[in-house]
Amino acid sequence: MPGSRTRRLSSRSDAGQSSLLGVLLGALALLIGSAALGLAVNRLSPRGIPLLPKAQKGEQEASLPLPPGTKPMTREQAYVAFVAKSALFLDGRTAEEYAEGHIAAALSLPAEDFESRFPEIVDQMEAAPALITYCRSIECSEGVEIADRLREMLPNPIYVYERGWEAWQEAGYPATKGEEP
Amino acid sequence: MSRGAQAGGAGPHLAPSRWRWLASPITGAVCRLLVGGSFIYADFPKLLKPYEFARLIYGYRILHHDMINLASITLPWVELVPGAFLVIGIMVRSAALLLAGLLAAFVGAAALVMMRGLTISCGCFFPLFTDRVGWAMILRNLVLMLLALQVIIWPSTFLPKRWRRL
Repeated sequence: MPGSRTRRLSSRSDAGQSSLLGVLLGALALLIGSAALGLAVNRLSPRGIPLLPKAQKGEQEASLPLPPGTKPMTREQAYVAFVAKSALFLDGRTAEEYAEGHIAAALSLPAEDFESRFPEIVDQMEAAPALITYCRSIECSEGVEIADRLREMLPNPIYVYERGWEAWQEAGYPATKGEEP
Repeated sequence: MSRGAQAGGAGPHLAPSRWRWLASPITGAVCRLLVGGSFIYADFPKLLKPYEFARLIYGYRILHHDMINLASITLPWVELVPGAFLVIGIMVRSAALLLAGLLAAFVGAAALVMMRGLTISCGCFFPLFTDRVGWAMILRNLVLMLLALQVIIWPSTFLPKRWRRL
Protein backbone atom coordinates (compact mmCIF):
# COMPACT_ATOMS: atom_id res chain seq x y z
CA MET A 1 0.00 0.00 0.00
CA PRO A 2 1.29 3.50 -0.89
CA GLY A 3 0.61 4.87 2.62
CA SER A 4 2.50 2.17 4.42
CA ARG A 5 5.38 2.39 1.90
CA THR A 6 5.69 6.15 2.52
CA ARG A 7 5.69 5.53 6.28
CA ARG A 8 8.36 2.84 5.86
CA LEU A 9 10.58 5.15 3.77
CA SER A 10 10.06 7.99 6.22
CA SER A 11 10.97 5.85 9.21
CA ARG A 12 14.06 4.51 7.37
CA SER A 13 15.14 8.12 6.65
CA ASP A 14 14.57 9.08 10.29
CA ALA A 15 16.66 6.11 11.39
CA GLY A 16 19.44 7.21 9.03
CA GLN A 17 19.33 10.76 10.37
CA SER A 18 19.31 9.63 14.00
CA SER A 19 22.22 7.30 13.26
CA LEU A 20 24.17 10.17 11.68
CA LEU A 21 23.30 12.40 14.61
CA GLY A 22 24.45 9.67 16.97
CA VAL A 23 27.79 9.42 15.15
CA LEU A 24 28.24 13.19 15.28
CA LEU A 25 27.33 13.36 18.96
CA GLY A 26 29.63 10.42 19.63
CA ALA A 27 32.50 12.22 17.89
CA LEU A 28 31.79 15.36 19.91
CA ALA A 29 31.69 13.37 23.15
CA LEU A 30 35.00 11.71 22.23
CA LEU A 31 36.55 15.10 21.48
CA ILE A 32 35.44 16.64 24.77
CA GLY A 33 36.20 13.52 26.81
CA SER A 34 39.70 13.10 25.34
CA ALA A 35 40.55 16.77 25.85
CA ALA A 36 39.29 16.61 29.45
CA LEU A 37 41.37 13.50 30.04
CA GLY A 38 44.43 15.31 28.67
CA LEU A 39 43.84 18.26 30.99
CA ALA A 40 43.38 15.96 33.99
CA VAL A 41 46.54 13.96 33.26
CA ASN A 42 48.52 17.16 32.71
CA ARG A 43 47.25 18.51 36.04
CA LEU A 44 48.36 15.38 37.91
CA SER A 45 51.62 14.78 36.05
CA PRO A 46 54.93 16.05 37.51
CA ARG A 47 55.89 16.87 33.91
CA GLY A 48 52.68 18.85 33.35
CA ILE A 49 52.84 22.28 31.71
CA PRO A 50 50.86 25.46 32.51
CA LEU A 51 47.66 26.11 30.54
CA LEU A 52 48.82 29.57 29.53
CA PRO A 53 52.36 30.54 28.51
CA LYS A 54 54.31 32.42 31.17
CA ALA A 55 55.04 36.08 30.40
CA GLN A 56 58.73 36.98 30.17
CA LYS A 57 60.05 40.37 31.20
CA GLY A 58 61.38 42.27 28.21
CA GLU A 59 59.99 39.81 25.64
CA GLN A 60 57.04 40.48 23.33
CA GLU A 61 55.86 36.89 23.46
CA ALA A 62 55.49 34.66 26.51
CA SER A 63 57.77 31.66 27.01
CA LEU A 64 56.77 28.28 25.61
CA PRO A 65 56.58 25.41 28.13
CA LEU A 66 59.86 24.04 29.46
CA PRO A 67 60.81 20.79 31.21
CA PRO A 68 60.49 20.92 35.01
CA GLY A 69 63.64 22.15 36.71
CA THR A 70 64.70 24.41 33.84
CA LYS A 71 64.05 28.15 33.43
CA PRO A 72 63.59 30.38 30.40
CA MET A 73 66.11 33.10 29.61
CA THR A 74 65.60 36.15 27.40
CA ARG A 75 68.20 37.34 24.89
CA GLU A 76 69.19 40.24 27.13
CA GLN A 77 69.52 38.03 30.20
CA ALA A 78 71.64 35.62 28.16
CA TYR A 79 73.85 38.49 27.02
CA VAL A 80 74.33 39.69 30.62
CA ALA A 81 75.34 36.14 31.60
CA PHE A 82 77.68 36.01 28.61
CA VAL A 83 79.43 39.28 29.56
CA ALA A 84 79.67 38.32 33.24
CA LYS A 85 80.86 34.81 32.28
CA SER A 86 78.39 33.48 34.83
CA ALA A 87 77.22 30.56 32.69
CA LEU A 88 78.39 28.09 30.05
CA PHE A 89 76.49 28.18 26.75
CA LEU A 90 75.63 24.85 25.13
CA ASP A 91 74.59 24.62 21.48
CA GLY A 92 72.12 21.79 20.85
CA ARG A 93 72.15 22.03 17.04
CA THR A 94 74.07 19.67 14.77
CA ALA A 95 77.89 19.88 14.60
CA GLU A 96 77.58 21.28 11.04
CA GLU A 97 75.24 24.08 12.13
CA TYR A 98 77.55 24.83 15.07
CA ALA A 99 80.55 25.09 12.74
CA GLU A 100 78.66 27.53 10.49
CA GLY A 101 78.30 29.94 13.40
CA HIS A 102 77.61 29.91 17.13
CA ILE A 103 77.60 32.06 20.27
CA ALA A 104 81.20 32.85 21.20
CA ALA A 105 82.60 30.40 23.78
CA ALA A 106 79.57 28.10 23.47
CA LEU A 107 80.30 24.37 23.48
CA SER A 108 78.71 22.05 20.95
CA LEU A 109 76.37 19.46 22.45
CA PRO A 110 74.21 18.19 19.57
CA ALA A 111 70.96 16.64 20.77
CA GLU A 112 71.40 13.87 18.20
CA ASP A 113 74.90 12.94 19.52
CA PHE A 114 74.25 13.62 23.20
CA GLU A 115 75.55 10.27 24.52
CA SER A 116 78.87 10.43 22.70
CA ARG A 117 79.50 14.14 23.24
CA PHE A 118 78.45 14.41 26.91
CA PRO A 119 81.51 12.60 28.44
CA GLU A 120 83.89 14.80 26.44
CA ILE A 121 82.63 18.05 28.00
CA VAL A 122 81.20 16.92 31.33
CA ASP A 123 84.12 18.38 33.34
CA GLN A 124 83.63 21.82 31.83
CA MET A 125 79.90 21.65 32.48
CA GLU A 126 80.37 20.57 36.10
CA ALA A 127 82.74 23.49 36.71
CA ALA A 128 80.29 26.08 35.32
CA PRO A 129 78.09 28.06 37.75
CA ALA A 130 75.12 27.61 35.41
CA LEU A 131 74.30 26.15 32.00
CA ILE A 132 72.42 27.91 29.19
CA THR A 133 71.18 25.77 26.32
CA TYR A 134 70.00 27.05 22.96
CA CYS A 135 69.30 26.03 19.37
CA ARG A 136 68.30 27.89 16.19
CA SER A 137 65.16 29.73 17.35
CA ILE A 138 62.08 29.31 19.52
CA GLU A 139 60.67 26.79 17.01
CA CYS A 140 63.47 24.25 17.47
CA SER A 141 63.46 21.77 20.33
CA GLU A 142 67.12 20.69 20.61
CA GLY A 143 67.88 23.33 23.27
CA VAL A 144 64.96 22.10 25.37
CA GLU A 145 65.86 18.46 24.73
CA ILE A 146 69.45 18.76 25.96
CA ALA A 147 68.29 20.88 28.94
CA ASP A 148 65.87 18.12 29.91
CA ARG A 149 68.61 15.49 29.75
CA LEU A 150 71.22 17.62 31.53
CA ARG A 151 69.00 18.37 34.51
CA GLU A 152 68.82 14.64 35.21
CA MET A 153 72.62 14.30 35.12
CA LEU A 154 74.04 17.53 36.57
CA PRO A 155 73.22 19.64 39.64
CA ASN A 156 73.90 23.01 37.90
CA PRO A 157 71.07 25.50 37.39
CA ILE A 158 69.89 25.07 33.79
CA TYR A 159 68.39 27.80 31.62
CA VAL A 160 66.99 27.66 28.10
CA TYR A 161 67.71 30.66 25.92
CA GLU A 162 64.63 30.22 23.76
CA ARG A 163 65.16 32.81 21.00
CA GLY A 164 68.36 31.03 20.10
CA TRP A 165 71.11 31.61 17.59
CA GLU A 166 69.06 33.61 15.07
CA ALA A 167 68.07 36.28 17.63
CA TRP A 168 71.66 36.40 18.94
CA GLN A 169 72.90 37.03 15.40
CA GLU A 170 70.23 39.70 14.79
CA ALA A 171 71.41 41.59 17.87
CA GLY A 172 75.00 41.46 16.65
CA TYR A 173 76.23 39.87 19.87
CA PRO A 174 79.63 38.11 19.94
CA ALA A 175 79.71 35.04 17.72
CA THR A 176 82.28 32.85 16.07
CA LYS A 177 82.58 30.14 13.39
CA GLY A 178 84.30 26.76 13.25
CA GLU A 179 84.35 23.53 15.21
CA GLU A 180 86.03 25.07 18.26
CA PRO A 181 84.36 27.38 20.82
CA MET B 1 19.72 -10.10 5.57
CA SER B 2 20.91 -8.06 2.59
CA ARG B 3 24.22 -8.71 0.91
CA GLY B 4 25.50 -5.34 2.15
CA ALA B 5 24.74 -6.30 5.71
CA GLN B 6 26.39 -9.67 5.21
CA ALA B 7 29.49 -8.08 3.76
CA GLY B 8 30.13 -5.08 5.92
CA GLY B 9 27.41 -4.46 8.46
CA ALA B 10 25.59 -1.13 8.57
CA GLY B 11 26.90 0.47 5.37
CA PRO B 12 25.33 0.81 1.93
CA HIS B 13 25.03 -2.20 -0.38
CA LEU B 14 27.64 -2.45 -3.16
CA ALA B 15 26.09 -4.09 -6.24
CA PRO B 16 29.09 -5.00 -8.47
CA SER B 17 30.91 -7.93 -6.90
CA ARG B 18 34.34 -6.55 -7.80
CA TRP B 19 33.81 -3.65 -5.34
CA ARG B 20 32.32 -5.76 -2.56
CA TRP B 21 35.72 -6.20 -0.88
CA LEU B 22 35.50 -2.52 0.06
CA ALA B 23 32.66 -3.31 2.45
CA SER B 24 34.11 -6.52 3.84
CA PRO B 25 34.83 -6.80 7.59
CA ILE B 26 38.45 -7.67 6.80
CA THR B 27 38.93 -4.42 4.87
CA GLY B 28 37.21 -2.61 7.73
CA ALA B 29 39.50 -4.19 10.31
CA VAL B 30 42.60 -3.32 8.26
CA CYS B 31 41.43 0.29 7.88
CA ARG B 32 40.69 0.56 11.59
CA LEU B 33 44.10 -0.81 12.53
CA LEU B 34 45.96 1.39 10.05
CA VAL B 35 44.23 4.64 11.01
CA GLY B 36 44.05 3.95 14.76
CA GLY B 37 47.54 2.44 14.83
CA SER B 38 49.07 5.42 13.00
CA PHE B 39 47.63 7.86 15.50
CA ILE B 40 48.71 5.77 18.50
CA TYR B 41 52.21 5.26 17.08
CA ALA B 42 52.62 8.97 16.36
CA ASP B 43 51.30 10.00 19.71
CA PHE B 44 53.63 8.77 22.43
CA PRO B 45 56.48 11.27 21.91
CA LYS B 46 53.90 14.08 22.00
CA LEU B 47 52.49 12.77 25.26
CA LEU B 48 55.90 12.35 26.87
CA LYS B 49 57.39 15.66 25.72
CA PRO B 50 54.67 18.32 25.53
CA TYR B 51 57.26 21.13 25.65
CA GLU B 52 58.87 19.84 22.43
CA PHE B 53 55.47 19.35 20.81
CA ALA B 54 54.52 22.95 21.76
CA ARG B 55 57.47 24.21 19.71
CA LEU B 56 56.33 22.20 16.70
CA ILE B 57 52.84 23.72 16.99
CA TYR B 58 54.38 27.17 17.32
CA GLY B 59 56.27 26.58 14.06
CA TYR B 60 53.00 26.35 12.10
CA ARG B 61 52.20 29.96 13.12
CA ILE B 62 48.48 29.26 13.01
CA LEU B 63 47.38 29.20 16.63
CA HIS B 64 47.51 32.24 18.88
CA HIS B 65 50.46 32.09 21.28
CA ASP B 66 48.10 31.73 24.28
CA MET B 67 46.51 28.62 22.73
CA ILE B 68 49.74 26.69 22.15
CA ASN B 69 50.04 25.18 25.63
CA LEU B 70 46.39 24.11 25.62
CA ALA B 71 46.80 22.51 22.19
CA SER B 72 49.97 20.67 23.17
CA ILE B 73 48.23 19.29 26.28
CA THR B 74 44.95 18.20 24.67
CA LEU B 75 45.78 17.34 21.04
CA PRO B 76 47.82 14.17 21.80
CA TRP B 77 44.86 12.79 23.83
CA VAL B 78 42.33 13.79 21.18
CA GLU B 79 44.42 11.64 18.81
CA LEU B 80 45.20 8.80 21.21
CA VAL B 81 41.74 8.02 22.62
CA PRO B 82 39.86 7.79 19.27
CA GLY B 83 42.88 5.90 17.85
CA ALA B 84 42.60 3.35 20.65
CA PHE B 85 38.81 3.16 20.20
CA LEU B 86 39.30 2.39 16.51
CA VAL B 87 41.81 -0.36 17.19
CA ILE B 88 39.67 -1.93 19.92
CA GLY B 89 36.46 -1.43 17.96
CA ILE B 90 34.45 0.85 20.24
CA MET B 91 32.36 3.67 18.71
CA VAL B 92 34.26 3.14 15.48
CA ARG B 93 32.25 5.52 13.28
CA SER B 94 32.50 8.41 15.75
CA ALA B 95 36.20 7.76 16.33
CA ALA B 96 36.85 7.58 12.58
CA LEU B 97 34.84 10.78 12.01
CA LEU B 98 36.83 12.64 14.66
CA LEU B 99 40.16 11.43 13.28
CA ALA B 100 39.08 12.25 9.70
CA GLY B 101 38.24 15.76 10.93
CA LEU B 102 41.69 16.06 12.52
CA LEU B 103 43.34 14.83 9.33
CA ALA B 104 41.39 17.41 7.30
CA ALA B 105 42.57 20.11 9.72
CA PHE B 106 46.18 18.90 9.37
CA VAL B 107 45.90 19.02 5.57
CA GLY B 108 44.54 22.58 5.80
CA ALA B 109 47.35 23.59 8.16
CA ALA B 110 49.98 22.06 5.85
CA ALA B 111 48.50 23.86 2.83
CA LEU B 112 48.62 27.16 4.73
CA VAL B 113 52.26 26.57 5.75
CA MET B 114 53.21 25.75 2.16
CA MET B 115 51.39 28.83 0.81
CA ARG B 116 53.35 30.98 3.25
CA GLY B 117 56.60 29.40 2.10
CA LEU B 118 57.59 28.19 5.58
CA THR B 119 59.94 25.20 5.92
CA ILE B 120 59.10 23.43 9.15
CA SER B 121 59.04 19.93 10.58
CA CYS B 122 55.53 18.47 10.38
CA GLY B 123 55.81 16.83 13.79
CA CYS B 124 53.69 13.96 12.56
CA PHE B 125 55.86 11.11 13.76
CA PHE B 126 58.54 13.09 15.60
CA PRO B 127 61.21 12.32 16.75
CA LEU B 128 61.33 9.08 14.74
CA PHE B 129 60.93 10.82 11.40
CA THR B 130 61.67 14.50 11.02
CA ASP B 131 59.83 14.98 7.74
CA ARG B 132 58.98 18.46 6.59
CA VAL B 133 55.54 19.84 5.90
CA GLY B 134 54.94 19.18 2.21
CA TRP B 135 53.11 17.15 -0.41
CA ALA B 136 54.18 13.82 1.12
CA MET B 137 52.50 14.74 4.41
CA ILE B 138 49.35 15.93 2.63
CA LEU B 139 49.18 12.75 0.55
CA ARG B 140 49.64 10.52 3.60
CA ASN B 141 46.89 12.36 5.46
CA LEU B 142 44.53 12.09 2.47
CA VAL B 143 45.12 8.32 2.29
CA LEU B 144 44.41 8.01 6.02
CA MET B 145 41.23 10.08 5.50
CA LEU B 146 40.05 7.63 2.82
CA LEU B 147 40.67 4.72 5.19
CA ALA B 148 38.72 6.55 7.92
CA LEU B 149 35.91 7.12 5.41
CA GLN B 150 35.72 3.37 4.81
CA VAL B 151 35.23 2.85 8.55
CA ILE B 152 32.49 5.51 8.69
CA ILE B 153 30.56 4.01 5.76
CA TRP B 154 31.03 0.31 6.50
CA PRO B 155 31.77 0.08 10.23
CA SER B 156 32.98 -3.29 11.39
CA THR B 157 33.72 -4.38 14.92
CA PHE B 158 33.86 -7.61 16.81
CA LEU B 159 31.88 -6.02 19.61
CA PRO B 160 28.05 -6.23 19.88
CA LYS B 161 26.02 -4.59 17.09
CA ARG B 162 24.76 -1.63 19.13
CA TRP B 163 28.37 -0.32 19.32
CA ARG B 164 28.51 -0.39 15.51
CA ARG B 165 25.98 2.39 15.11
CA LEU B 166 28.17 5.06 16.78
